[in-house]
Amino acid sequence: MSSNTAEIQSPSLEAVQAKREAYASALSAIVPSGCILSTSEQLKPYESDGLTVFKRSPLLVLLPETIEQIQAILRWANEADVPVVARGAGTGLSGGALPHEDGILLGLAKFNQILELNAELGFARVQPGVRNLAISDAARPHGLYYAPDPSSQIACTIGGNVAENSGGVHCLKYGLTVHNVMAVTVVTIDGELLQIGSNALDHAGYDLLALLNGSEGMLAVVVEVTVKLLPTPPCAKLVMAAFNSVEDAGNAVGKVIADGIIPAGLELMDKPAMQAAEAFAHCGYPTESAALLLCELDGLEEEVSAQIEKVTRVFNACNVDELRVAESEEERLLLWKGRKSAFPAVGRLAPDYYCIDGTIPRGQLPYVLRRMEQLSAEYELPIANVFHAGDGNLHPLILFDANIPGETERTEALGSRILLLCVEVGGTVTGEHGVGVEKINEMCVQFDEDSLQQFHAIKAAFDPKGLLNPGKAVPTLQRCAEFGAMHVHHGNIPFPELERF
Amino acid sequence: MQDQDQTEPLVEQVRHALSTKTPVNIVGGNSKSFLGRPAQATSLSITGHTGVVSYEPTELVVTVRAGTSMQSLNALLKDNAQMLPFEPPVFNTGTIGGVLACGLSGPARPFAGSARDYVLGMRVINGQAQALRFGGEVMKNVAGYDAARLHVGAFGTLGVLLETSMKVLPVPEYELTLQHTLGNANDSSGLIKLMRQSLPMSAACIVGPTQYVRLSGSESAVKAAAKTCGGEPLGKAADFWQSIRECSHPFFNDTIHSQSDDKRALWRISVPEFAPLLPVEGEWLLDWAGAQRYLKTDAPADTIFASAKQVGGHATCYTPDRVSADTALFQPLDGVMQTLQKRVRDSFDAHRLFNPGRYHTELDDELNRASAAEK
Repeated sequence: MSSNTAEIQSPSLEAVQAKREAYASALSAIVPSGCILSTSEQLKPYESDGLTVFKRSPLLVLLPETIEQIQAILRWANEADVPVVARGAGTGLSGGALPHEDGILLGLAKFNQILELNAELGFARVQPGVRNLAISDAARPHGLYYAPDPSSQIACTIGGNVAENSGGVHCLKYGLTVHNVMAVTVVTIDGELLQIGSNALDHAGYDLLALLNGSEGMLAVVVEVTVKLLPTPPCAKLVMAAFNSVEDAGNAVGKVIADGIIPAGLELMDKPAMQAAEAFAHCGYPTESAALLLCELDGLEEEVSAQIEKVTRVFNACNVDELRVAESEEERLLLWKGRKSAFPAVGRLAPDYYCIDGTIPRGQLPYVLRRMEQLSAEYELPIANVFHAGDGNLHPLILFDANIPGETERTEALGSRILLLCVEVGGTVTGEHGVGVEKINEMCVQFDEDSLQQFHAIKAAFDPKGLLNPGKAVPTLQRCAEFGAMHVHHGNIPFPELERF
Repeated sequence: MQDQDQTEPLVEQVRHALSTKTPVNIVGGNSKSFLGRPAQATSLSITGHTGVVSYEPTELVVTVRAGTSMQSLNALLKDNAQMLPFEPPVFNTGTIGGVLACGLSGPARPFAGSARDYVLGMRVINGQAQALRFGGEVMKNVAGYDAARLHVGAFGTLGVLLETSMKVLPVPEYELTLQHTLGNANDSSGLIKLMRQSLPMSAACIVGPTQYVRLSGSESAVKAAAKTCGGEPLGKAADFWQSIRECSHPFFNDTIHSQSDDKRALWRISVPEFAPLLPVEGEWLLDWAGAQRYLKTDAPADTIFASAKQVGGHATCYTPDRVSADTALFQPLDGVMQTLQKRVRDSFDAHRLFNPGRYHTELDDELNRASAAEK
């Protein structure tokens, strides 16, 4: 969440309207007029994605119905130098689908068909607007499922998942989107249709499939995705363990892994998060404890029983305060419900909350939590912690009230400090939500100038004019110079050779 | 294991190559010279750039310099009851940099994932002699484009690999390999059925009429799964899988590094596991449950490339000395894909300093830069 320091003088309303009309008229030759949204009421729902502090109106929203239309739209945009921002369900949390005020927003909502579900061969071919959960729902009768499960899975689309390389609770064992997508079909900015990947396990030439995953809509527009379907594990058991200190809980996480167990999910909540979740979901969490671990094990029944025995031993050796294995499927789902509703639950503690998304090496957890406590006191803003502990992905939730003058800015500043703390301990500014517009300044700290330039060169290889989702994900060096002027890192001014403003 | 950071001298060598516009041939343990044609250029050796930069077993992450030998890396992991889950070949003198540059994964690939799946971060020198860092040392990281994974399987043509961080996993508690004689040789349909069930499979291959399935996990689970799979337990199973991984199984006799009279070429063909057997005369070995197939054949390269492409796959020649010098060794790229890949190469190595001639030679010519700039 970084404020834009270089606001461009906005053009007059008449000029904007004239451009809007000109574009709409040109595009009406390409897409049916019903697919072009241009009135302010029509544009309103598209002004932001899941990160609502940023809002911008695009000139037009296009909702094409065929791949040919997408090709024609991009060809036109490339000719006419018009920025294009692709959007799935708009659930992203980093502003990746924030519209460009001088461009068009390409909504892919109408591409919502599962084109092929091959249970025998274990894959599904789907359009980008298909919801994540809809894939698993369709595969379930065949005893299969799609593994990545971001918490927004009921609403988020697979196209957006590819753009962000989405994770989820189960990615410790089953990987991220990049590990579960076999092929994508994309349209390039010059309107070419290209299949990247296949049902084979590798492909000729450079691994552009890896590059496309997590590229935040900056390289091409995804119009079809082939995903791997896995057999549903016959058995899944959940162990809940409460600890009297966060350190003990953090330790237990490391010990489980050192013992050779890779749980399907390993989640940690601190006291504020656990208490909020309990008040919201009434799932029976021991709210007097300092930290709660949820450890899910799945596989064959024999495997799961052996692992439950092992993790119970580990937790007991780590001063566990209370330990419970969910007896029934109902109890297992109830215990998960608390965790899965942690965000809205925390949302009830304050008028607003802001979710941070950094990853750290697991061993740094005690230090990072201590530092966050200090920062919380320094900025006078409470923090609740939800943590994908297995893979080190932190989601501190900062509680604030946007109606109190200055509090939003203080929240942004605290969020930025936490992200820089993640980088300081060898982690990253974003584990799974993406950079978008939100963390673009912090990218200047995580990457040096040469690496950022290389990113820009990669972008230019796909999109020479820089029309696909411009201004997102990778900061310009000028932006970094401006940010560096505010945040001096370890006493070194980044980009000393650039002029200051 | 030697601990030696040669980043500076390596950057210096690339800087020199850049200033004199002289290409380099990047070499590690020189164990995979049969993959692609070695570039006719000055050698740039990474074998002195060795050592573990960091390894914390409970983090499941190891960071090593690219010249570190596979043997020493495997030994270190084994001491901690961990492993590289993609089971890469060692080829005696191979380095981790070489394994990643060639993008090689062993029998566990269809079940555990590939080399690129386990790469978390990479330090590389690009064609502008800049040491860059992509990704990191944590499991979940979506900051910036995934340029780390892009280097896996690029055969060094995008840059000199300096250092990599990889995810590692615990060694399974128990393993069992089952062998079973098939009604029809090279028939992978039974394996495909097994793969749709929740079984702890970790390898599956077919040699002639015999199917081999490896199960890994807790002893009780493996024994339960063995009943579903059927077949007889195989003795010395670790040796068997090693021979598949290292291409040292008798099937590979008289192919790689051989001076014998057998003049048939060896091809690796990567196809969807369910693809039919290609209509090419020769002898087959199916690994990866049928998704990776080795073929010994006299058939012309064009026939092999065409039939692999037909089923959505691609082919690589493993015996360059048994095909004519102008034969492509990698499935030729064409059309929009070729243009895009060239541009990607351009973005890292505009002057084609790294390994020209080694990989897809159709990507070797520099782009018409004037027309690129025009666009």
